[in-house]
Amino acid sequence: MRRTFLKGVVAALAAAPLITAAGLARAQDAASFYKDNVIKWIIPYNPGGGYDEYSRAIAPYLEKYTGARVDVVNLPGAGGMKGANEIFDAPADGLTVGIINGSAMVTNQLSEIEGVRYKIGEYGYLGRMVADLRVLVVSSQSPYKTFEDLMAADRDVIVGATGLGGSTYVDAVITGPALGVGQKVVHGFDNSSDVRQAMLRGDVEAMWGSLGSALQGVQDGEHVIVVQSDRVRSPLALDVPSIFEYAEKMPNAAEIAPIMAAWDALNAVGRPVAVPPGVPEDRLAFLQDAFAKAMADPDFVKMMTDAGRELSYVDGPTMRNIARASTELTDDVRAKLVAAIRGEI
Amino acid sequence: MTIFEGLTSGFLQSISLEVLPYLSIGAIFGLVVGIIPGLSGHFAMAMAVTFLYTMEPASGIAFLMGAHATVAQGGGLTAILFSTPGTGQNAATLLDGPPMRDRGEAGVAVGAAMASCFLGATFGALVLAALIPVLREVVLFFGPPEVVMMAFLALTFVAVLGKEDLIRSLIAALCGLLLAMIGLDNVTNTDRFTMGLLSLSDGLSLVPVILGLFAVAEMFDLWGTGGSLARGVTKPLSAAETQRQIFRGVGLAFKNWWLVMRCSAIGTAIGIVPGLGSAAASFIAYGHAKQTSKNKETFGKGNVEGVIGPESANDAVEGGAVASTIAFGIPGSSSMAILLSGLFIVGLETGPRMLNQHLDIVFVIIFTIIIGNLIGTLVGMFLVNPMSRATAMRAEVIVPVLMAVILTGAYATDRAMFDIGVAIVFGIVGYLMKVLNYSRAALLIGFVLGFAVEKNLYLALLLDGPFFFTQPIPAALGLFTLAFLLFNILSIIRDRRRA
Repeated sequence: MRRTFLKGVVAALAAAPLITAAGLARAQDAASFYKDNVIKWIIPYNPGGGYDEYSRAIAPYLEKYTGARVDVVNLPGAGGMKGANEIFDAPADGLTVGIINGSAMVTNQLSEIEGVRYKIGEYGYLGRMVADLRVLVVSSQSPYKTFEDLMAADRDVIVGATGLGGSTYVDAVITGPALGVGQKVVHGFDNSSDVRQAMLRGDVEAMWGSLGSALQGVQDGEHVIVVQSDRVRSPLALDVPSIFEYAEKMPNAAEIAPIMAAWDALNAVGRPVAVPPGVPEDRLAFLQDAFAKAMADPDFVKMMTDAGRELSYVDGPTMRNIARASTELTDDVRAKLVAAIRGEI
Repeated sequence: MTIFEGLTSGFLQSISLEVLPYLSIGAIFGLVVGIIPGLSGHFAMAMAVTFLYTMEPASGIAFLMGAHATVAQGGGLTAILFSTPGTGQNAATLLDGPPMRDRGEAGVAVGAAMASCFLGATFGALVLAALIPVLREVVLFFGPPEVVMMAFLALTFVAVLGKEDLIRSLIAALCGLLLAMIGLDNVTNTDRFTMGLLSLSDGLSLVPVILGLFAVAEMFDLWGTGGSLARGVTKPLSAAETQRQIFRGVGLAFKNWWLVMRCSAIGTAIGIVPGLGSAAASFIAYGHAKQTSKNKETFGKGNVEGVIGPESANDAVEGGAVASTIAFGIPGSSSMAILLSGLFIVGLETGPRMLNQHLDIVFVIIFTIIIGNLIGTLVGMFLVNPMSRATAMRAEVIVPVLMAVILTGAYATDRAMFDIGVAIVFGIVGYLMKVLNYSRAALLIGFVLGFAVEKNLYLALLLDGPFFFTQPIPAALGLFTLAFLLFNILSIIRDRRRA
């Protein structure tokens, strides 16, 4: 009781100068604050790979619309968690932003793994760059051609995956049991390229991955896409059924609906651009506006399209709702999801 | 596009005015990055890739590959002159490079290293070119069972590294394997030996460990004994003498062409196998050079073959490592992941389409490796003279300067303060190992191969069952490993009897 009281006093004392500071900050025009200032953009992974490409591609356009210099910094570690923590803990002055692996950070938070200092629902968001459409691909060397084949297989399908909690793993262990696919998930590969190599060798028969990286393999005849994660079929893969089309037809459709919805919400988080909690509202609004303009810049869109990189922008407030929704689960669904992530299924 | 058309077009593009300047700038940049301890090829490429957005495909790729191709050369220079590996792949050069410098033969060692790099890189690039028709088959040849057995074969080279003291070398190698276990286990997601530290959950990084074991340990040693970095050398070599020595070194590399070929073959093969890496390649090549040498006893005391072996292997890796990236778009290392990004940025696709329609770009990569290394060799030779003057400085002056550079290098890889601590701890470990005569090379091989062994052993057991090693290729590799071990044990027994 006494501690709470003390905390209240401290908070009140601390708040007094903050209120004045906030007033000053509002007075100072956000645009003039960013003019010739330096924004640090954190990438939680090493150079090379999607997060790095997306960040370095957008940086010049964000410079164009904020007037600030954008310094791109790679801060790899703990599967992207080090960078996510760093963004969360950064000073809330609006000068530190970063891209995060939304889905992975949600699964880490849900499964309460050690080292999580961030709260996905408390970040400020500039918006989302892309949410990977997840697809299940099956090797051309395997006897399976469609998702029905997998459901009807008389032996376990060997599905390759990276570590526990990684997207390739979580997708497989949630959708497989829900839709009655007999599968043996072999995890422990370094990354999705590593799984792909194993599939080319014939060591594994299927894997979950992003549509973007799967399309080239389809053209090359390496594998076929049998199912996609979005409820609505993507214009890039209109002939591929959605996994929800199968889920609805299952005899236990009502029973599996909540876990499938939770998985859907997880996928929607995608790759958001976040700032620490508590960034002054006018600055956040300015950054959100600049980010929206950068994402819509014709030159940027053309460059990304030419390089075959998907974009699926949503604005900051929407992103915040998506992020919150992904962690607000019923106890039952949460338990199932956590068990799947921890490899207890 | 036929292979011949691709080759001609690739060559003409590589020497054209649109590409060659970028290639040269890239190569010189890579050389400088290599010279700075702790900064690796991965860093050079990460810096270079940001310029690619506005470049033409051929110039961009030549620039990017050029920056990566020469890093090992620059690193060799630092290893020989300052007892500090410029990059991880030069650690094996430390065994015989610095002793040659101490004898006043720094120029010979550098000349031999530079020429071996060029020859090794050329070998690797030519093998890559020759493999183009069967590139996909070659890359898919190595699955988890094959990699496990390859790694075991590589581990047996430890036996050769410390033949004088097999038991101590094995202890060091097994400690190295244990060090590789630190961190979050990829299979069970459990922390191992992290003592609750988040910084340890990714395991120990290679660069601070290598810098600690070899460079920091050397600084401690030098601080303790005093004198100049190059022991027994009081005056720096004159410019003319350095030049003469360099040419003699280059000549020695060509004279040992057969050793260069064999070590390059080792390097290329290891480059193709995913996950073994160039640091392992150079130590294995060193072991091979020692095993086959007529003067085994002078290894570690300044035998030029101990410089030629690892330096030709660590550049030959390049050709092999590029193979899986081109053939499938599957990067075998973080550097190759950046190359893949670079190819995307300039609008090129990998896989069959690259091998069919953009074969010229494959040859631009091949010629970049060759021309880049040639440029690196030539520029590197001019750098030897000014750099070697520093080696005659007194310990009181040079140790603090080098320590600052080394620790900055340890920090720079992941921008982690924690890694400075790692470098210092391993500096103490390395110093003790040196004093107590335990092989640091064996520890490092164990550490480097630990990741590959564990991951692939798990996958091999899961995919192919407990008897995966009875498949033809793994069985052949296993038998070869046993024969190799047996031969070594027998020769040790024979030596003992004779003594």
